[in-house]
Amino acid sequence: MPELPLPAEPTSRTLEIRFTGSGSEYFRIWAVNLLLILLTCGLYLPFAKMRRIRYVYANTLIDGEALAFHGDGWKMFRGFVLLAVLMLAYTVASEFSPAVALAAFVVLCAVWPALWRASMQFRLGNTSWRGLRLSFEGSLAGAYLAHLPVYIPMTLLTALVPAGQGPTGDPGVNSRFWFGVSLALLCLMAPWSTALLKRYQHRGYRIAGERSVIVLHTRSVYFIGFKTLMLGVAALFLAMAAAVPLCGLLAWLQSGTVDPRAWRSYYGIATVGLLYLLGAGGLLPYYASRIQNLVWGNTRSASLRFHSELTGLTRLNLKNWLLIVLTLGLYRPFAVMVSTRLRLQAVRVESSTDPATWTAARAGLHTDASGDVAGDFFGMDVGL
Amino acid sequence: MSASTALSAHWFDGQQGLARPVEVSLQDGHLYFGDQRLPLERVHWPERLQHGRRLMVLQGGGVLSFPDAAAFDAWADATGHQPGLIERWQLSWQLALMALAFVAALFAAGWRWGLPALSDRLVERIPPSAEQQIGDQVMALVDKQWLRPSQLSVAEQQAWRKRFARMLDKARASGMAVPEDWQLHFRRTTAVMGPNAFALPGGQMCVTDELIELLKDEPDAVLTILAHEAGHVQHRHGMRTAIRASVAAAAAAVWLGDYSSFLNGLPVLLATNGYRRDHEREADAFAREVARRGGVDPARMAVFFERIRRQYGDRAESPLAISFSSHPADTERVKFFSEREN
Repeated sequence: MPELPLPAEPTSRTLEIRFTGSGSEYFRIWAVNLLLILLTCGLYLPFAKMRRIRYVYANTLIDGEALAFHGDGWKMFRGFVLLAVLMLAYTVASEFSPAVALAAFVVLCAVWPALWRASMQFRLGNTSWRGLRLSFEGSLAGAYLAHLPVYIPMTLLTALVPAGQGPTGDPGVNSRFWFGVSLALLCLMAPWSTALLKRYQHRGYRIAGERSVIVLHTRSVYFIGFKTLMLGVAALFLAMAAAVPLCGLLAWLQSGTVDPRAWRSYYGIATVGLLYLLGAGGLLPYYASRIQNLVWGNTRSASLRFHSELTGLTRLNLKNWLLIVLTLGLYRPFAVMVSTRLRLQAVRVESSTDPATWTAARAGLHTDASGDVAGDFFGMDVGL
Repeated sequence: MSASTALSAHWFDGQQGLARPVEVSLQDGHLYFGDQRLPLERVHWPERLQHGRRLMVLQGGGVLSFPDAAAFDAWADATGHQPGLIERWQLSWQLALMALAFVAALFAAGWRWGLPALSDRLVERIPPSAEQQIGDQVMALVDKQWLRPSQLSVAEQQAWRKRFARMLDKARASGMAVPEDWQLHFRRTTAVMGPNAFALPGGQMCVTDELIELLKDEPDAVLTILAHEAGHVQHRHGMRTAIRASVAAAAAAVWLGDYSSFLNGLPVLLATNGYRRDHEREADAFAREVARRGGVDPARMAVFFERIRRQYGDRAESPLAISFSSHPADTERVKFFSEREN
């Protein structure tokens, strides 16, 4: 066990989080996984996922001890097949028939909170530290309540807005108007939704006798949302300005001359591309990192205090995107390792009791892996 | 297996957070530590990797943690434990790069041959009745969202349909395969779509009032554009694109995996656009052939491109725009439609 400097309070000490995963090693795991996934027509996916989780866990050292994954590949496989069939049906339906796609989407929305909760139960239930299982104890009703701010306005809009009507007589303008209204509503509700979801998650974590609680003010999340919005406006201007030299360069590379007409034809594409890069590549990680700091900074349990000082994720993410695009995706495994290290090592845990004295509450075994796959399909993250 | 040397580890029993220092040894297919004896099949042996803690996950919930990775690897070698095939693969740069090269070759082959062949096969399996239904639904949706009733008189619409049918009949009589079941709709639209025509699955074709307005003195150009849409119908391009987009999305998700779903959209966009350009060329070839056999002059298409350019400027002429928009370059198409028969 590493020696740590003990401050004035003799019983409290920091459990340091270290991540030792290496990009080059993860690259080789990824390459082999990729080949096996292709050769088995995708059936290897759950096993590839298990290898990935095991690698990340073995390299996540909390106070010198690594996380262990107890998941069973074949159980994950069963859940995977179930969800793959559902998703395939949904994809095929949405490609071919708008009406069926809508029905499938409604069904998906109806079961989504339950799947989301099951995915956290599975992942945490199969994670241990110092031999002590983690678990997730959020209730099913709570999962549905946490999703309400997303669902209710969308349902109302869909049900109440008459087809083709709106502020003008032009159906094209009207459908764009309602799309704009929905988007604005979603953006307006997003911080509230984030607050509810994070509150639900961070009240459900458990290890041994430690139950997590969180004091999270909705207004703090709105403040972060507001700052993100301001940055978004700045990003818009930046994209419009930066597109000028960029499309000049593109036009020059293509034709060898600086022709104002060719230059103009690139401007729209360059602006949209830059906005996409700055928005999805820059703003989302900014929001995510501020939320991580806020949420973990306000999470505690009987003897644990969490702190998160995550900075530089935006810059790192932009660099990752650039390298991923330039290497046609080959940089991806390196990007995953680098950003995982940044996110994990930003978190600090203070404990007022010695984890060696903790005892397991009960053996919580979650055998159904379908929820875990659901999380994977939709790119959900458990939170850390 | 003979008795092995012992290796020190921390044992967590799954009930307490206490790390118990133990000496682990392997004998006769059993793992011995403390006062425990476990058959090897109840132990999850850690993968042979360079980084990371060596952890043995024990069935029943306990964990053995080996702080000294190098010592563990030497011990594992001494006990005669062989890393599995996949582990050896992951350890070697050479093998991993070979796997990746093979994956790249598979992707390229799938892209070039597999996917087009697959979508052709699948399209043939989809019964026309199902396609008809899909087309009807999409048309209803587009109607609701983007289109308004045509201002052309019924007589005018019928006249266009008759001309179009006459051209198709002539082409069919000359031995060409042309769509049997089709519907031609006329709609007024918004500024976004402007002069336009499109084809949907199930033989649905739609042309906008704005296009008819633009080319009312050039019926041959209108008929060639309609023949182009009939080409999409004949080759069932709508269904093909749908199938290819789904497969490309799945492939992109496998390649970029868990890093960012926002990046996944990019290859799908480029992929479907690449195929779509091929479809446009195919439809153009079909249109020129139908027009020539149907007694229509496809070279009048030059007028259409000229008028569009005058109205909208030459945005679509830039080389970058071609790789992003689905239609081939205008000048190339004008030349194609104006080529004389050999």
